[in-house]
Amino acid sequence: MESQTERAALERLLAILKQTMPFQVVEDGLLRKIAALGRFAVYERDAMIYDVGGNADDIYIIVSGRVEHELAPGAQARRPLKLLGAGDVFGWAALLEKFPHRLAKAVCKEAAEIVRINGNELLRKFEAEPDTGDVVMSRFATMITRDFTVPDLIAQLRRIHRRMHAGDIQGMNLTLYRFLQWIKSPRPYLMLAGFSLFIGFWYLSVEVWKLPRFREMPGITTVVAEWLSPNPTYGLSIYTAEYYTHIWVSIWRVARAFFLATVLGVPFGLFLGWSRKFKEYVFPVFETLRPIPILAWVPLAIVMFIATESAVIFLTFLASFFATALNTMLGVESIDESYVRAAYCLGAKRAQIFRHVIAPGALPFIFTGLQISVGVSWFSLVAAEMVSGQYGLGYVINTSYTMVRYPTIVIGMITLGFVGYTTSALVRVLGDYLMQWRTRELALGNR
Amino acid sequence: MAAVLQPKSNRRATQGAISIDNVVKIYDPDGAAVMAVDHCSLEISAGEICMIVGPSGCGKTTLLNAIAGFHEITSGRILLDGEVLCSTEKPKAEPGSDRIVVFQNGALFPWKTNLENVAFGPIMQGAMSKAEAIEKALDMMADAGLGGVEHNFPGEVSSGMRRRVEIVRALMNDPKVLLLDEPYRALDSLTKSVMHEALLEIYYKNKVTIFFITHDLEEAIFLGHKVAIMTTRPCKPKKILEVDIPHPRDYSVLTSRRFRELMEETNDAVHEEALKAFAAGEKEG
Amino acid sequence: MAIRKKALVSSSLWRGVVSIAVFLVLWEIGSLSKFWIKWESFEWLRNALTGIDLKPVYLPWIGAVPAPTEVLHAWAGVIGDAGYWQSWYMSFFRVMSGFVTAMLVGIPFGLLLAVSRTAYGVGFPVFEVLRPIPPLAWVPASIIFWPTQELSIAFVTFLGAFYTIVINVVGGARSIDVRYFQAAQSMGSSQWDIFRRIILPGTLPSIMVGSSVGMGITWNVVVAAEMISGGGSQDAGSSGGGLGFFIWNSYVGGSYEQVVVGMISIGIAGYVSSELLRAVGARVTPWMRLR
Repeated sequence: MESQTERAALERLLAILKQTMPFQVVEDGLLRKIAALGRFAVYERDAMIYDVGGNADDIYIIVSGRVEHELAPGAQARRPLKLLGAGDVFGWAALLEKFPHRLAKAVCKEAAEIVRINGNELLRKFEAEPDTGDVVMSRFATMITRDFTVPDLIAQLRRIHRRMHAGDIQGMNLTLYRFLQWIKSPRPYLMLAGFSLFIGFWYLSVEVWKLPRFREMPGITTVVAEWLSPNPTYGLSIYTAEYYTHIWVSIWRVARAFFLATVLGVPFGLFLGWSRKFKEYVFPVFETLRPIPILAWVPLAIVMFIATESAVIFLTFLASFFATALNTMLGVESIDESYVRAAYCLGAKRAQIFRHVIAPGALPFIFTGLQISVGVSWFSLVAAEMVSGQYGLGYVINTSYTMVRYPTIVIGMITLGFVGYTTSALVRVLGDYLMQWRTRELALGNR
Repeated sequence: MAAVLQPKSNRRATQGAISIDNVVKIYDPDGAAVMAVDHCSLEISAGEICMIVGPSGCGKTTLLNAIAGFHEITSGRILLDGEVLCSTEKPKAEPGSDRIVVFQNGALFPWKTNLENVAFGPIMQGAMSKAEAIEKALDMMADAGLGGVEHNFPGEVSSGMRRRVEIVRALMNDPKVLLLDEPYRALDSLTKSVMHEALLEIYYKNKVTIFFITHDLEEAIFLGHKVAIMTTRPCKPKKILEVDIPHPRDYSVLTSRRFRELMEETNDAVHEEALKAFAAGEKEG
Repeated sequence: MAIRKKALVSSSLWRGVVSIAVFLVLWEIGSLSKFWIKWESFEWLRNALTGIDLKPVYLPWIGAVPAPTEVLHAWAGVIGDAGYWQSWYMSFFRVMSGFVTAMLVGIPFGLLLAVSRTAYGVGFPVFEVLRPIPPLAWVPASIIFWPTQELSIAFVTFLGAFYTIVINVVGGARSIDVRYFQAAQSMGSSQWDIFRRIILPGTLPSIMVGSSVGMGITWNVVVAAEMISGGGSQDAGSSGGGLGFFIWNSYVGGSYEQVVVGMISIGIAGYVSSELLRAVGARVTPWMRLR
């Protein structure tokens, strides 16, 4: 229970804090907590408050009187000597990370009443409310630069800024943290339940209950047995070299087509979005060709490219190109006009705006487009392989059907799914890496 | 404790006088001619803070866009230091770094760090080498109390800080005029009060002309030398107020008697226009 | 003012027309290269090329493609043929029925996933694992499973659109501003009410957006399935026909002009179905227009 005098002192401290520069913007609740940390102290004329090298624990706020503050040469202040009066703050070394010791000598020139607040405890209060803490620390920074003329020390304050951001765990710790959160939530177990249901249904309907339509299907045990068998009945398992040949062939085709489509599609899309004239000339033709399903191109492709391999890659390329170019164009068009206008204001010319504003600004859309493009590539590739190919996963699926090797069909399908997913994830990860600014913003919850 | 807001020099600005002369803007959204600005004339002296107050959708942003060079005017002239920016013969001004806009929702490039943003202008114009630009940027940022966030991305810092970075970015280019389009509209009132002080600090050091659009009368009288209250669409100055409270100002001004008097003088005018806008169903711009 | 505006519209339209015209002309020239290279005036070129041991072949790729004029000629021939229009009908029917079925199953499924966190936890991972498998890879399995070929094509078509629709529904439901829910709850709505009046309409825009993508995929799948099942037999009741089959048949029969006719027909059909969808969408979500 606070006594009358204690409460009066607190109110007085509160009033003082409200008039002190760095604390002016703090709202009452937090300010009270800070005031609770403060202690009054009285110094006589010529008393040494602290000297260089002393322990930097408290910050000081002058209520009345005058204090002479002299920064040691090591601090490299432009004006090392200052005479401080009522309302001024000193002793802020208590807030710096690397300087647990005093940087200056403070001597009382005229009998002074001073409020002392412990630096560490103050920081802890700010950590609890980082938004306000941010503002206050930046005011300290301003004060330190201008009034005390020691801009080099800003770097030390910077560390304090970083501490304010609660969720600011970096790198591996972040991944680990996220993983632990995931394990603790019900999500992994629900996932397990889902898969069990699915696999269970498959198993039961084909092999146990032998439901009418499901009878003919390859059962999961057959598929798994086949897949893992060193001597598979139908010739494909993880032990056979052929399996990997097919996988590699498909991947290599998609890689080439995708690469070509990206290298051609992204610039093409950028221009479509950036130059109205270009769009007016080119887009109509583009939009007329785009709706034609990729597979409809198959016969034409076979006729055009005598080699089947080129035909397959062409088809995959085409699908991928349309998706990439379209999304890139949409990306450019979705860039907020303010960015472009701001760049013009700042004196940038068209070519510079293209490089510094348009290209990076469209990047998120471009990467979404690329992910779609990868999916579309696989789609087209499989179709093309099924119709006219040798080797490749699509080919495997098709021939397994015609040669009545049912389990291999499923092996092909599952492998396809897995490979398709991985390539898509790779693109996404690359995007996250290139767009650091976005991942960080999203991690901080978009203030 | 007004140590923060001392003007560093009392030198009056000599550049940045804007003259808006009989400007008309008609635009044509769906074939129906809409007059956004109706024979608007306004004189702004060099180095003056001119606040434009009006209800939403009344055409204030159109004026700003015309000065900045983003939109055309239909007729009339806008002059900067005696030179024609745009006129009936040449309806669209060229955007340039002598008149820089600070946007309502912020236009810091999210994919560049704060430092890269601030140094953007001089580097693009080739006015100084990259190293020089960065050094100046670091200096100006520290000066504005933005030390510590140079290498963060705009998305990682608070919106108040983003605004300040944007203003510093503009000032790096020594503009004659700063065009502010309701920059503090989206901020809470605590941050706003900090922003006002920060803006005044910057103004005292740099003496640019400031053309500031707001719907907040209090903000306008607190910051401005001159407050122009605009009618609802079409936009035209209804009442021009010279705020005779001396600079430098700090927050004690808000409770001063003169401030109250000025608010009383102008409140009715603003309220009247606000009612009209509401009745007309104006959408927020 | 008004005059200036009209001119602007005209010029962009002009450019579009010009570019398509240019495209067609270039195509024509390119395709006919197989002819004009044979002209006598280029004899010297031919001799020169033979001299360096280069065979005088026509322009690569384009040379093999039939010219627009040839295509138009073939088209004129085909328009009178009832079989052509029946192919149209069949493909259209397959696409529409597959798509509508996908919506009928996909939208409730998507909504279930969006609304119930348990359902999402159980269903979504399985869904996501199956999604990367291209629908066409399901064709053999589908043929084994379903009794008729028509049903197997329908199933694959259904799958193609299903994935897109579910993803869009889930995404759309999740992006509904939480304040709408809060407003409804504070006004005393029941769960069912909230579902009907907030979730359902709130997801509609995403569904409409997703549908156009889904439509494209559906066409792809239908054409592919028609081509792969080789059109099947022509006997009554079984599948067969459809524009994909038309193309394949033309290819096998060696009339490449007809192949191109088929391609363009599908392009047009796709465009028509997308527009239909967009019109329906606009009726169902009138508030989107005002955005």
